Amino acid sequence: MISDETIATILRSIYVSGTATLLASVWSLPTSYVLTLKRRVGVVEAVIESLVGIPTVLLGLLLYILLSSSGPLAPLGIKLLYTPQAIILGESILVTPLMISTSYRVLKNSVVMYSELALSLGASKTQVMTLVIRESLPGVVASIIMSFSRALGELGIAMMVGGNISGYTRVMTTAIALGVVRGEFEEAIVLGLVLMAIMVVISVTLKLINKVYGID
Amino acid sequence: MSPRRLAGSHYGEWTRGDRWEVDGGELESMKMNSYEPLSTEKRLLHRLVLVASVVILLVVAYYLLFPLNQYVVRLKVATTTSLYATGLLEAIAEAFRKEYPNVRLEFIAVGSGAALRIAERGDACVVLIHEPYLEHQYLMKGVIGGGRVFGYNYFVVVGPKNDPAYISGVDNVLEVFRRVYVAGESGRTYFVSRGDNSGTHLRELMIWSLLGLNPGNTSWYRSCGCGMGDALLIANELGAYTLSDLGTYLKFKKGGKLQNLELLYVNTDDNLTINIYSAYIASRCSGDERRYGELLINFISKDEGGVIRDYGVKEFGQPLFYPVLENKSKFLSIWEWFAYR
Repeated sequence: MISDETIATILRSIYVSGTATLLASVWSLPTSYVLTLKRRVGVVEAVIESLVGIPTVLLGLLLYILLSSSGPLAPLGIKLLYTPQAIILGESILVTPLMISTSYRVLKNSVVMYSELALSLGASKTQVMTLVIRESLPGVVASIIMSFSRALGELGIAMMVGGNISGYTRVMTTAIALGVVRGEFEEAIVLGLVLMAIMVVISVTLKLINKVYGID
Repeated sequence: MSPRRLAGSHYGEWTRGDRWEVDGGELESMKMNSYEPLSTEKRLLHRLVLVASVVILLVVAYYLLFPLNQYVVRLKVATTTSLYATGLLEAIAEAFRKEYPNVRLEFIAVGSGAALRIAERGDACVVLIHEPYLEHQYLMKGVIGGGRVFGYNYFVVVGPKNDPAYISGVDNVLEVFRRVYVAGESGRTYFVSRGDNSGTHLRELMIWSLLGLNPGNTSWYRSCGCGMGDALLIANELGAYTLSDLGTYLKFKKGGKLQNLELLYVNTDDNLTINIYSAYIASRCSGDERRYGELLINFISKDEGGVIRDYGVKEFGQPLFYPVLENKSKFLSIWEWFAYR
């Protein structure tokens, strides 16, 4: 029932969105930790939170202009348009505000609860950081899962900078969109169900891991 | 987690300092409760995780900067959705791959307007399109060149089975649209317009303007801003008429999604409903990509292996597209008529 191409599309989706999420966490998590240490970040917080809902098509369009052969990056010889790497880049930017704002909340809570206490007990800055991160790990993991789901489920960026090229940049959401255009609703629905199933499985697995190895 | 445990977890480090030595007794009791030193295995694991994430980062960075496989020529083709959605292009790609295995055809299926914009920005090499008026404008701008008309088919009018506008049996599309207008004005039916500046939409607007009618602001004229498939589905729900390309209609009809719609007007002698597909090479395209782009256009316009001629015959009992081949001059003059209107 599920063809090889469909399986390849599913695997590509997971690879693209997974890499994008990892990439985003490289800069998002440190940023939100730094934010927790600063006072008066209300404005920054508000801006980041408002960016969570940025239309994916808009971001896709901006990235298209940036990566296009007529774009500002073209003279540097960066030819990323219509490659999976372009989608990875776009999705990692897309999920950054979501990851920062959700992880910021849990980190902030831990900082408020433990950091002064730990400092008063003579802990060093690194120790405080380790402690805060350990304490908020379940929340941070949840934030990463949310970001992964957002990346996996978005359509605009994959369509604009990926181009939905068969066997190369076709991911689940663009394949679903193509199924609708072609009138092949059944395939679109199968892909949609697979998409949901993957999200649920990953979410449940990580929750289990959290429960087994987690602190609470 | 309790503060007790919190303090305990750092006990091992703190005793290296001197401040807490005095309270050693109390700390000792915490140790009994919860202190677990980091074992060498765990330290090793942490290191491994760190190293692994650095490696992943490097690999990702490498692929971000050098994504191309040097041995394969990527030939990017911006195409209108109708060619791609019917599956014709995949059939062509398969035949082309047999002759040029080192070329990877990459189809970017968008609207006619977007396809030309993409070519203008240098992001695609070949453009496959069916909107002579737009093609002409971009030809004048020097964005595209080397054009060939390679195929054609017919626009059809589909509508509800009971045909409230009485269009079946009419022999020209102007009269069909006039009747739909009259029926719409008297509240007997709807008309669904693509409204997305696609080739089909522009053709529909042209027919209205040839009639001197402007249904744009009426309540029976529904502009959906959507693709052909969506427009057909909406027409099916509303019991409305719409202008469609034959391929999409047949595909959706066969899938059982258009139970209320019938093919009411199809006329191969009506030049106003001829839908001409052309291939162009983008002026900014160069090197290997351009060379293979020209080969592809040549390949398509010769219809080698009869891919265009045979496509859809098995599935729908009739072809969805017809190759132009030796009728080139005839279709070029029709193309010009549309381009200079």
